[in-house]
Amino acid sequence: MNEVCFKNIDKDQCWSLETYEASGGYSTWRKILKGEYTPDEIINELKTSGLRGRGGAGFPTGLKWSFMPRNAQGQKYVICNSDEGEPGTCKDRDILRFNPHSVIEGMAIGSFVMNATIGYNYIRGEFMEPFNRFEGALKEAYAAGLLGKNINASEVSFDLYSHLGAGAYIVGEETALLESLEGKKGQPRFKPPFPANVGLYGKPTTINNTESFASVPEIMSKGGQWFADLGVENSGGTKLFSVSGHVNNPANFEVSMGMPFSELLELAGGMRNGAKLKAVIPGGSSTPVLTAEVAMGMTMDYDGIEKAGSMLGAGSVIIMDESTCMVKALTRLAHFYYDESCGQCTPCREGTGWLYRVLKRIMDGKGKAEDIDLLMSVQEKIMGNTICALGDAAAMPVESFLRNFREEFEYYIEHGKSMVEK
Amino acid sequence: MASITIEIDGNIVNAKAGERLITITDREGISVPRFCYHKKLSVSTSCRMCLVDIEGVTKPQTACSTPVSDGMKIHTQNEKAKASQKAVMEFLLINHPLDCPICDQGGECELQDVAVEYGSDVSRFSEGKRVVAPSDIGPLIQTDMTRCIHCTRCVRFGSEIAGIMEMGGTGRGEDLKIEPFLAEGITSELSGNMIDVCPVGALTSKPFRYELRSWQMASADSVARHDLVGSNLYAQTYKGLVKRVVSGDNELVNETWISDRDRFSYEGLAHENRLLLPQIKVEGQWKEVEWNVALDFAIKGLNKNALNSRKAHKLGGLASSTATTEEFYLMQKMLREIGCENIDYRLNVNNLDDPIHLDSNIKLSDLECVDNVLVIGANLRLEQPMINLRLRKAQLAGASVSALNVKAFDYNHKTNHSTVSPNEIATILAGALKVILEKNSLEAPSYITNINPSELSINLADKLLDSERSVIVLGEHVINNTQAASIAQMVAEIAKQVNGKTLNLTSSANTLGAQYAHFLPKSKGMNTNEMLAADMSAFLLLDIYPEYDFHHSNSAVEALSKDDVFVVSLNSFNNELVAQYSDVLLPMAAMYETSGSHVNINHDMQSFAAAVKAPEEAKPAWKILKVIADLLELPGFHYENVTQVSEELKHQKIYEHKQDITIDLGKKSSAIETIWMHSAYHSDALLRHAKSLSSSKIGQTNSASMNTATAKELSLECGNTYLGVPVVVSDTVADRCVFVSSNQSTDMGRES
Ligand SMILES: Cc1cc2nc3c(=O)[nH]c(=O)nc-3n(C[C@H](O)[C@H](O)[C@H](O)COP(=O)(O)O)c2cc1C
Ligand code: SF4
Ligand code: SF4
Ligand code: FES
Repeated sequence: MNEVCFKNIDKDQCWSLETYEASGGYSTWRKILKGEYTPDEIINELKTSGLRGRGGAGFPTGLKWSFMPRNAQGQKYVICNSDEGEPGTCKDRDILRFNPHSVIEGMAIGSFVMNATIGYNYIRGEFMEPFNRFEGALKEAYAAGLLGKNINASEVSFDLYSHLGAGAYIVGEETALLESLEGKKGQPRFKPPFPANVGLYGKPTTINNTESFASVPEIMSKGGQWFADLGVENSGGTKLFSVSGHVNNPANFEVSMGMPFSELLELAGGMRNGAKLKAVIPGGSSTPVLTAEVAMGMTMDYDGIEKAGSMLGAGSVIIMDESTCMVKALTRLAHFYYDESCGQCTPCREGTGWLYRVLKRIMDGKGKAEDIDLLMSVQEKIMGNTICALGDAAAMPVESFLRNFREEFEYYIEHGKSMVEK
Repeated sequence: MASITIEIDGNIVNAKAGERLITITDREGISVPRFCYHKKLSVSTSCRMCLVDIEGVTKPQTACSTPVSDGMKIHTQNEKAKASQKAVMEFLLINHPLDCPICDQGGECELQDVAVEYGSDVSRFSEGKRVVAPSDIGPLIQTDMTRCIHCTRCVRFGSEIAGIMEMGGTGRGEDLKIEPFLAEGITSELSGNMIDVCPVGALTSKPFRYELRSWQMASADSVARHDLVGSNLYAQTYKGLVKRVVSGDNELVNETWISDRDRFSYEGLAHENRLLLPQIKVEGQWKEVEWNVALDFAIKGLNKNALNSRKAHKLGGLASSTATTEEFYLMQKMLREIGCENIDYRLNVNNLDDPIHLDSNIKLSDLECVDNVLVIGANLRLEQPMINLRLRKAQLAGASVSALNVKAFDYNHKTNHSTVSPNEIATILAGALKVILEKNSLEAPSYITNINPSELSINLADKLLDSERSVIVLGEHVINNTQAASIAQMVAEIAKQVNGKTLNLTSSANTLGAQYAHFLPKSKGMNTNEMLAADMSAFLLLDIYPEYDFHHSNSAVEALSKDDVFVVSLNSFNNELVAQYSDVLLPMAAMYETSGSHVNINHDMQSFAAAVKAPEEAKPAWKILKVIADLLELPGFHYENVTQVSEELKHQKIYEHKQDITIDLGKKSSAIETIWMHSAYHSDALLRHAKSLSSSKIGQTNSASMNTATAKELSLECGNTYLGVPVVVSDTVADRCVFVSSNQSTDMGRES
């Protein structure tokens, strides 16, 4: 536990440069400045580590970095996605608060690999404290001569800036983030072209999640194999799980990939008031909900969760006990996507509102028998037809809630009230 | 791009690698529904209507954005594609009003058309529909934003083509609203194109609101005649009236856009001031009469005052530059036949002794390919919107644009503005020419040997020398520059030295037509100013409105009003001053009511047929002129239709009265320089009578701008008037200069 991003979490002033360097921080970066690494060596190490993007999609980080046209003419950018807005997720916030230098070093290493001399860390608008921590760390790093132009008289230059968002979930989507960073309205771009070719200001750009970057320095100093061995096949390393909901000790836990869900639940102090587990959303609100039975048999890694019928996503585990009204829970989620859709593309703009309104009507006791089929059909029509994955994210909970807890919806429609709530 | 083959719906199709799928399906005539895609705008992929199935790709893909690659197998109609398309259609309709019968777009709505094929009959949506509060965005465009499908075509048109992002999306999700960012609404000179690009009834023509259904109207190909572009358009008519104008396609001329000026000017046709009946003045009283009476009266007067007494040299013929080529041709043919050489269309030029001579030797479509532009004396956006649109494209593609203007005008592209007094232009150009000649190791002519090139001159010269495809644009503001002819001459010389092109915008409308028709005084004839100063006995005038058309309207009216001068006026509008000096008023057809041609700056003679008949007794001017010629028993006027006239003049070479110019850089005035321009929507009679245009922001422009020092020198401040025009103090104007842009009548001779 706590071996990578959180390794210093119990130390005093764990976010300071001093603490970070005392535990071997910036050693890889200093080696790079001395010319002791080639970009390919770093990419190979990352590939060996099995690190997959922690922002939700799980794309192998080493492979992503290798896609950057590092020798292309002109400016290139490296961007950290700290917009963390997925309901249930709060891991990046704590990385910024407690280990900001790992993000800086991870980004610096990335900048060297991808020949990008400018970086931005896009931080969620509500994250004032983490933002200030990160700014403080940036100041320290500049003062220590770790950032800037021709750092330590080397050929290497890297300037890093932080940027505070303005409170839109959709800006976590990487191309919407680019638009926002350019000063425009945060709306996703269509792909292709991908950011690696046409990114910030039209220049090649790589975007990674905070946790992805924060994992890189430790992988480099201890070796890719060491990291891979921490986890299981296809899911190297440790992962930060944000456990929330009806548990005794909701918190972020950095544990090895492949840990049985039941153990994670134990770590979180078990069920609150000894209540019975009813449902689990394992990877953040955009991932399908699982029944208690299925969840208890699942391991916490990409393949394990997929086998159970959901996705690891951003590792945000939402625990629901028997007192939870699934109709109400889904209505709340549907409202979130309805509220956060950027409105750009038709199925999501129109469909999220439709889903929410039907659910709201059911909650108001005005449900109709055909509403369940209607909801199913509407989510199906959003799925796969939109510009960005927010559309799918809005559809998936609907599908899984209705599939797994259909009788609760039927009950609500028939009786005009919840099956579980008194 | 490499040639490849792909398979669409089982058919092998040739394509180029990387082409967008929708371009191929459009070319092949395969129908793929779409709303946000527009061939002249960037791709947005937001409507999702064009989703198709590509083998090997899990999710359906948008045809408008997908680049094709060799061997790609595409299904536009299979179950998966259809399911996606129908899904999108259903989503589009849930919040869209289903009241097509009361929507102004009904019958020409892309949503309605596609819904017929892809929609379902019953709506499963039983929640409340979205309603968007209406907003007033100005007198030209009617909004009904509840109907908006958020395709962003209007937004992209603004930011990409019009060059100002007036429409934008605010709010997100379902609250996403397409609306103008500013309360003053939409003010672009190209705004009406948003109506054309809007697929639904969210943006429609305000003057046309609730008038008719598209299918009730006939549509006639026509050509706009307010500038020397001659945009192609369609005049839509009903029961003999032009009801609406929409843009036509012509890549060589206007692509697919038209200016608001061209779109909304038709409103003037129905103005209550139209001249509808022939009238004669008997003992100072106007009398409405039959055509034959009026014509008889006109012939008698002309015979008496000019012809019978061998005084043809005392007859003058003047015409507005908005006339058709055929009208110019017939009028000069008739006048020359009776021995009159006093023929001119140049009404507002102060000095016709040294007129501007400058070829336009670049095609409109090539304007977007230049790499360096020098604009001299033009407020391009308003005066030449279609030309500015092309130059803006060049600028966005990397061309450098410099401008020498009396005021730092608001161009909607990056421009290096140098605000200079009209006085300085010749010297600046002479300096640049000197630098260029020196670089080319050529001897400088005597008039520039003493010039010491300024930094600005050197800068302009360097840019011209460094560029491969320069164009120098000479604008309307220089026509009354005391050194106008020298400026034009130097522009030509500079362009020659740098292998560049020239674009002469100093004249308007169908000026080139007038030149092809030889509507100019040749050796023996008098020009406009000479005629007005001479002791004339008769005039034949074609659609002239002195208070706007002449540089010195008061003296023009005075000259025309002399007791013994007999004036025959062909006019499309009634006018007090015209009535004051005329003896006969012959009502003539206006734009869209007459057939003929317009010669645009590409030197293309673009023909058009009348879209409607002229109202009441008004007749096409070419017919009136022909009948007058017949009544005068002149030979060679046996035309049965206007095409025969066109055929006859088609082979004529352009007539230019070239003369050697002695460049004299000493000729400067020390007075405060005033440049007077009519507001963009007051530059001809039809425009001045188009009510919606007049009430728009551009149409309301009425200001005499000067900087603080000049205002002080003239003891003026905001709130005062200068030459009758409200003063605006702005330090974007060059020192000791006044730039007037006015919707009022002008008399430059009038005291302020
Ligand atoms: C609606 C939406 C919201 C997202 N929000 C975030 C986020 O808050 N943080 C994040 O890292 N990635 C988020 N992503 C994923 C990013 O688009 C992107 O895949 C990720 O930043 C890539 O980093 P990684 O490869 O390190 O995971 C979001 C995606 C979508 C569709
Ligand atoms: S799916 Fe939703 S959030 Fe994503 S682009 Fe479309 S409307 Fe915007
Ligand atoms: S107003 Fe018309 S063109 Fe503009 S976004 Fe709406 S539907 Fe599209
Ligand atoms: S036309 Fe392709 S998404 Fe709109």
